[in-house]
Amino acid sequence: MNNERKIYGVAALFTKPDDIINAASKVANDGYSKWDVNTPYPLHGMDNAMKLKPSKIGFITLFMGLCGAASALMLAYFTNSIDFPLVIGGKQFFALPAYIPIAFELTVLFATVSTVVAMLIIFFKFPANNHVLHDTPYMKKVSLDRYGIVIESADPKFEQSKVEELLRSFGPESVEIIYHKEEVKFPIFEPKFISFLILTAIVVSAGTYITLNKLMFMVPFNWMMYQDKVMPQSRTELFEDERGMRQPVEGTVAKGFIPYTYIGIDEPQEYLSNPLLPSIDNLKLGEKKYLTYCSPCHGNFGDGDSRLKGQFPNPPTIHSQRIRSFDDGRLYHIITIGKNIMPSYAAQISREERWAIVNYIRVLQKAKNATTSELEMIIKETGTNVAN
Amino acid sequence: MSVDYTIEPPVVHGRLSIAQIEEMVVKPLDTKPDKKFYIAITISGTFLMIGAVLLLITFYYGIGMWGNNQPVGWAFGIVNFVFWIGIGHAGTLISAILFLLRQKWRTGIARFAEAMTIFAVMCAGIFPIIHTGRPWLAGYLMPYPNQHGIWVNFTSPLVWDVFAVSTYLTVSLIFWYTGLIPDFATLRDRTTSKVKKTIYSIFSLGWRHSHRHWQHYEKTYTLLAGFATPLVLSVHTIVSFDFAVSILPGWHTTILPPYFVAGAIFSGFAMVVTVLVFVRKIFDLQQIITLDHLDKMNKVILATSMMVGLAYGTEFFIAWYSGVAVEQFAFLNRAFGPYTWAYWIMVTCNVLFPQLFWFKKIRRSIPMMMVIVILVNIGMWFERFVIIVVSLHRDFLPSSWGMFIPTLYDVGILIGSFGLFFTLVILFTKALPVISISEIKAVSDGAQPSYHGGENHE
Amino acid sequence: MSQTEVNYQKKELPAILNKVGLVLLVVGVLLGIIAFFVDTTRASFNYLVSYSFLISIGVGAFFLITLEYVTDAIWSVPIRRITEFLAAIIPFLAILVIPILFNMHEIFHWTHEEVVAQDNVLQGKASYLNISFFTVRVFAFIAIWSFFYFIIVRNSVKQDSSGEQNLTKINSKFSAIFIPVFAISISITAIDLLMSVEPHWFSTIFGVYYFSGTVIASLAAVTIAAVLLKEKGYLPKVTNDHLYSLGALMFTFVIFWAYIAFSQYMLIWYADLPEETFWFLQRWEGSWAIFSILLIIIKFVVPFIVLLSRPAKLNPKRLKYIAVWLLFAHLFDLFWLVMPGMPGMENGYVFSWIDLVFPIAAVGFVIFLFSMKAKKQNLMPVGDPKLKRGLDFHL
Repeated sequence: MNNERKIYGVAALFTKPDDIINAASKVANDGYSKWDVNTPYPLHGMDNAMKLKPSKIGFITLFMGLCGAASALMLAYFTNSIDFPLVIGGKQFFALPAYIPIAFELTVLFATVSTVVAMLIIFFKFPANNHVLHDTPYMKKVSLDRYGIVIESADPKFEQSKVEELLRSFGPESVEIIYHKEEVKFPIFEPKFISFLILTAIVVSAGTYITLNKLMFMVPFNWMMYQDKVMPQSRTELFEDERGMRQPVEGTVAKGFIPYTYIGIDEPQEYLSNPLLPSIDNLKLGEKKYLTYCSPCHGNFGDGDSRLKGQFPNPPTIHSQRIRSFDDGRLYHIITIGKNIMPSYAAQISREERWAIVNYIRVLQKAKNATTSELEMIIKETGTNVAN
Repeated sequence: MSVDYTIEPPVVHGRLSIAQIEEMVVKPLDTKPDKKFYIAITISGTFLMIGAVLLLITFYYGIGMWGNNQPVGWAFGIVNFVFWIGIGHAGTLISAILFLLRQKWRTGIARFAEAMTIFAVMCAGIFPIIHTGRPWLAGYLMPYPNQHGIWVNFTSPLVWDVFAVSTYLTVSLIFWYTGLIPDFATLRDRTTSKVKKTIYSIFSLGWRHSHRHWQHYEKTYTLLAGFATPLVLSVHTIVSFDFAVSILPGWHTTILPPYFVAGAIFSGFAMVVTVLVFVRKIFDLQQIITLDHLDKMNKVILATSMMVGLAYGTEFFIAWYSGVAVEQFAFLNRAFGPYTWAYWIMVTCNVLFPQLFWFKKIRRSIPMMMVIVILVNIGMWFERFVIIVVSLHRDFLPSSWGMFIPTLYDVGILIGSFGLFFTLVILFTKALPVISISEIKAVSDGAQPSYHGGENHE
Repeated sequence: MSQTEVNYQKKELPAILNKVGLVLLVVGVLLGIIAFFVDTTRASFNYLVSYSFLISIGVGAFFLITLEYVTDAIWSVPIRRITEFLAAIIPFLAILVIPILFNMHEIFHWTHEEVVAQDNVLQGKASYLNISFFTVRVFAFIAIWSFFYFIIVRNSVKQDSSGEQNLTKINSKFSAIFIPVFAISISITAIDLLMSVEPHWFSTIFGVYYFSGTVIASLAAVTIAAVLLKEKGYLPKVTNDHLYSLGALMFTFVIFWAYIAFSQYMLIWYADLPEETFWFLQRWEGSWAIFSILLIIIKFVVPFIVLLSRPAKLNPKRLKYIAVWLLFAHLFDLFWLVMPGMPGMENGYVFSWIDLVFPIAAVGFVIFLFSMKAKKQNLMPVGDPKLKRGLDFHL
């Protein structure tokens, strides 16, 4: 063997389990730190002999187990109570007893998977197929039925002759020196490897493409597409008019529909009164709807300064004395059926929203046309300068 | 026959050395398969092909090919699912629960049982998926944010099932693989073939039998066993919830969870015994998988048989005691209705025949136990048939009563699942060590140091 | 195997134990008699709780013994005698049950003929739930348990002097027969004593529910006795590893109980059938809701967290405390099962000193019986062939 190669460590092999326990406890007592015992199976009492601290892997298990339970409950809570609440079997949205099975399963799943992954990757630093001990005669023997001990050269106390002497004193079957291996390099840009990668990429993309775009449209996967039913807008021979869609029966009223009976009446305010109080909530609603539907023509503050740049004639300001004197009902009526060039907004804006807009218009009018005494009163009440 | 209680009975018979044990276990891997192997795989492969063809026809024409109807909407598909999941319970039970109970005899059979678990769960997993009729849409069963804007219903026991079975499969695989890592290392170090060496090296991940690793490894293994044990119980419990949360008489009964678990262990052990009897004979493993093992397994079968029997009795008694007319009818209909034969097959095979295991001679006689465990397998299949089909065929309204008659496709797919199971088992015996090498070494005679660090040698 | 081989010397238990037991017993019995005069109904219900509690400890302990024989367990051999002392409750059950039989009208409303006459459901059950058949069942089970108890314990004691291996074998056989008998009898006992307090209600899992609590209670009792005796130096060779196994078993059965309890609750909650849910709704009425939530915490959450880690199970002190806790938890569980069915407590719990009386008597009875038994017999089955292996047990 080439003596110039670096020594990894000195190893000794034993045939009896008692001997290796004895050797391990002595080596541990001698204060070595970088050494190891290799046995074909775990030996009872070796942890004590080697003075190993209890494994800490249980903490990972505990933590990840709790994560599993929490994520299951949160997922169930989010999906079935917030994102898509649905009453099932008369149970409450967050039906805790029903989520316990899944919480348990995910606890187990998270805990076990993370324990094994943590053991292999964090604790063992696997995969480690290029470790020095692999392919040595020493490894072949401890893999079968011998019990080996290795003291590494990286140990601060390592002295080859002393270590050999120490190991021989335990009466081993054999003692051997293990050398570092010559490094083997695997260049990434090897043509074979590259072509393998390319081939894999092609196969995966082609497979995905064919499955999703071709296979799913072939018999029998596409059978659901062809069903004996009349599609909207399609022709059918079932009915005389050969239309797939049917008209509603005469006199049908859509759900929630209430007819507006004041069309044609110019001043319906005597029939219409504002059902909403100008609370903050519905003023906010009114503001939102006003800004969405009214402000493009009437302007953000109702000054009639249209943003439409003359494509339509500008409407009059709502701050004129005439409009300020309109009743709520009249404003509502105008929004509902339109006026002059203004179309009806009944289709876009619900009844409640229309009333909210009316309230908001009142706020705008008040804000633009406040008297000094009113301003003084506000300052007095709020204690601040509103103008700021 | 006298037993000496003062000494521990040896786990491995015949005082084999550690090297001999290893030789014995890996022999099937090193030798070329013989004629028996090819005959066995041909038979199981044929069954598998029959099932596959019938399944493809089902896919093409739809599940109208099966005997399912109204009111029996759940039939063979679900019966087979529950049956196979049950078979899949013995493996993890043997490896996890017996590990926690420190039963050393488990080592001889644990690996094999774990493999059977995985294969059985694979067989089981097929059925609910094909039962949906559109198996390619099975991905919808997982909760993921999707373009439909909807989620799975976490309140549904069928979704619990998805989680339970997939968790069980994952954890069983991990448990199995964790146990295999040291064995892969051993195989890697003994093989001379370069191809095999590469494969074993990849799977062994560079294991080097280091005791600093063994320490964490043992802890992890204990933790896994600790989690696998309640997991096993939970899986069949959740399968039982599929039925028990409903209000169908015969399904809704609170004892169903423990009763299903006991039944699962019962049928699983029966299947393990069925297969082990052949394996130990064919691969000359009689010294490692001894008659004592089979004896103990048969005792477990006897115990679980009585548990199942107790559950039958309790159900019957409480159905009468409840005073609910539909409950009473459902149970009388089981025993004396149109499917009375299924009920009595179930009772005789599950409760009466296993009582023969009270006799030690029968527990240790290979032909007798073969007959009994096969009867148990049949009986347990019929138990699920009775629970599912017989409860369904009498609806609440007599006008919607019906009968279920299986078609060729039902039976063929069941046979196919057996084909799949046995094909996988046969391939496994040739591909991997059927006994955990490191574990069996650890429990053989003289393998462990005398206590207190070897101060007093023998 | 002789006594010298395991270096066992019989030591007398301190006399104080006997006295404490006797005082508690006498005080409990006297107060109990007063209680029966003050409020017969309440006293009868409480007596039923304590009686079921004693069945749990006695029959449960005996079940643990037979389980050891059947499974050829090794680790539990050194503490088996303790378990046997606790199982000595069994023959006394025949006397202890008498107050229940005399007060059946107070507890079980299916014994009132005029009630049954108006109730179709109860009429359907009358062939099972009637006084004579009930009495026959109660005594038959006590007789069966006592029969097995006397045979197995006699053999075990005989072995102390003879050391015959054959006795272990005989006991194993009897144990194997006992276990199915136990399974049936404990289920029916649960139905008779506890479930029939509310005779309209039914749940198939109920027997298993009571069984799981029974095992917890008996394990806890064994643990308390073993830890106390070890602390006082009576069991020098019993190591923490033995106690660990007891702790692990308690942990397992705590989870098992939770599993059974959850299955029962969840299935009834989910199916929502009025003939089943009323029983749980009753336990959600008024202050009973607090009891129901406390039950989960006391019997599952706390012991689960305390016993989860491995060092906890190796710590005798912690085991002792949690064992006392679990005994209380089982008593609490039984209380929760029985008391909401009492007339006058439908709308919530009403405190009364009577609730505290019978547990005192029960604890005193067990301590007294234990110390009386310990006077006559060795604290360890010194003649058991498995004892040496049992003492050598290490994790």
